[in-house]
Amino acid sequence: MSEILETPYGTRDFLPEEAAAKRLIENRLAEIFSKYGYEEVVTPAMEFLETLTMSGGRTVEKDLFKMFDQNNRTLALHHEMTTPIARLAASRLKNSALPLKLSYNTNVFRFRRNQPGRQCEFYQAGVELLGISNAAADAEIISLAVESLKSAGLKEFKICLGQVEFASGLMEQNNLSFDEQKKIKSAIERHDIVELEKISDSLNLDKNSADALKKIPQLHGGKEILETAEKLAENKKSLSALENLSEIYRLLEIYGTADKIIFDLGIIRDFEYYTGMIFEAYAPNVGYSLAGGGRYDHMLKDFGLACPATGFALGIERILLARKMQGIYEDVRRKNIYLSYAEGKIDSAIKKASELREAGKVVEISLTPQTKDDAEIFKQKKGYDEMIYIDMDCK
Amino acid sequence: MTNDYITVALPKGKLFGLSAELLKKAGWTAEGLHEKSRKLIITNEESKLKFIITKTADVPTYVEYGAADIGIIGKDVILESQKDVYELLDLGFGKCHLMMAVHKDKKRPKLEDYSHTRVATKFPHIAEKFFSERGMQMEYIKLNGSIELGPIVGLSESIVDIVETGTTLRENNLEEIISIMDATARLIANRVSYKLKFDRINKLVVDLKKILVEQ
Repeated sequence: MSEILETPYGTRDFLPEEAAAKRLIENRLAEIFSKYGYEEVVTPAMEFLETLTMSGGRTVEKDLFKMFDQNNRTLALHHEMTTPIARLAASRLKNSALPLKLSYNTNVFRFRRNQPGRQCEFYQAGVELLGISNAAADAEIISLAVESLKSAGLKEFKICLGQVEFASGLMEQNNLSFDEQKKIKSAIERHDIVELEKISDSLNLDKNSADALKKIPQLHGGKEILETAEKLAENKKSLSALENLSEIYRLLEIYGTADKIIFDLGIIRDFEYYTGMIFEAYAPNVGYSLAGGGRYDHMLKDFGLACPATGFALGIERILLARKMQGIYEDVRRKNIYLSYAEGKIDSAIKKASELREAGKVVEISLTPQTKDDAEIFKQKKGYDEMIYIDMDCK
Repeated sequence: MTNDYITVALPKGKLFGLSAELLKKAGWTAEGLHEKSRKLIITNEESKLKFIITKTADVPTYVEYGAADIGIIGKDVILESQKDVYELLDLGFGKCHLMMAVHKDKKRPKLEDYSHTRVATKFPHIAEKFFSERGMQMEYIKLNGSIELGPIVGLSESIVDIVETGTTLRENNLEEIISIMDATARLIANRVSYKLKFDRINKLVVDLKKILVEQ
């Protein structure tokens, strides 16, 4: 019997107060996305397994919730929204005018144990900007991420901004073999600076080149970091990555969002996937990122549409947690009036409730007659601001 | 940012003394910071530091969630915990050696000959990764202490465990057949703390590097 009262591992309920806070944030995000010209799309919760594993290889497969359809094809619940949107863009929206600006807000599913700040089913909102590969597109995305976090009520947060091509360029500059590059990339992705330093020292590079590789995670700070980085790079790829960041930053200053930016050339989430600028958003006292995004110019090619792309996703539960940590409390459950009445007065009460609702009030009407004392107790219990009690006929 | 304290997680046991001593040399300490402290959080108001002392295996958890900004812990524990944290510095001390051992009368010619046997260990994740990379499937038996008892009482054919001097192995007629990894203590940091408190944490890394070179 107790089993039917449980929910599966990695799922949760949102009770009214939690659901109201979630809805509030989602509405504000939807509004800011649409102000920037992004239109919402909704895709199925399940896709064919091959669609979701098309890009990024098979690394995601073990995290997917899978099932079979009646023809025994394997289906999976979407684990993020970039892939379904890529499918959409490469198929049904193939002939749309570029750039394509799309947004989403949905639950996604990943089977992993102990993911900090999220369950297996969690909520994401985000945008994708398809068809443009310049700094203006990236600046718009970063600015929108900043505005989104602000509109969600967060005051304290930072965006760490990096560029994948900077580190890639340093590796190519030193003519590292595929295997050597793979080891270095893996150490950076795993945040293992000890390993990065050990590999760099073991590669028979001249001291400057080894030091440059080792310094990647320390290139963190304000705009001056780009100059420090420039001195380390002796190749076109790294230098144009820095120019790209510099141009993005210039535009962010005009947007008025540059004060939230910290440069960090060690931020690299996935070398295979990202191809340009990359960022993560952090808030104090929350141990994991609130949002992340970047440029991924190769992914749509896997779906048969060669098209540059950039975008980001925000974790709704993590934003809710950050709000709590920052003491941001908004009375999201509107409970204006509890309307009760004496025996025989239901007709007047319904009319009164309709008037009040017309005037924009949230009104709960009692469904049985009550004494005034009972109504008062009820109003307290339900947490209404005000009570109206009708015991004589209104005109 | 409002929270300008840095919380440091230190493990109980043999790494504690060395860690506290090293941090002290870099000026990171607090009054009453010792392993037997009854206080759960030991604070240094002036230097804006907080120390927590936890069970060894819990250090990566505190750090991954950001309950501690940084911590000191063995590489073996980080790998086994599978937590996503920054590994900032190899501190060089706390050296240990993770290996596979069997009863010396029951040695088999090749490693592959142990496929599908039972292995007792405190490190099932590391062991599984090691064997599966060699195409071997094993039956892992998670124990929390006295691993060497496994083969003696017939619970397992082999063990995967840490050795320091090898005395325990010899006393129990066990013999190392293959080395899995060598581990030392690491300075680790929470992914967000490392970014939002970069200046202080990075200064600590630079200072510790200097101290370690001079030693």
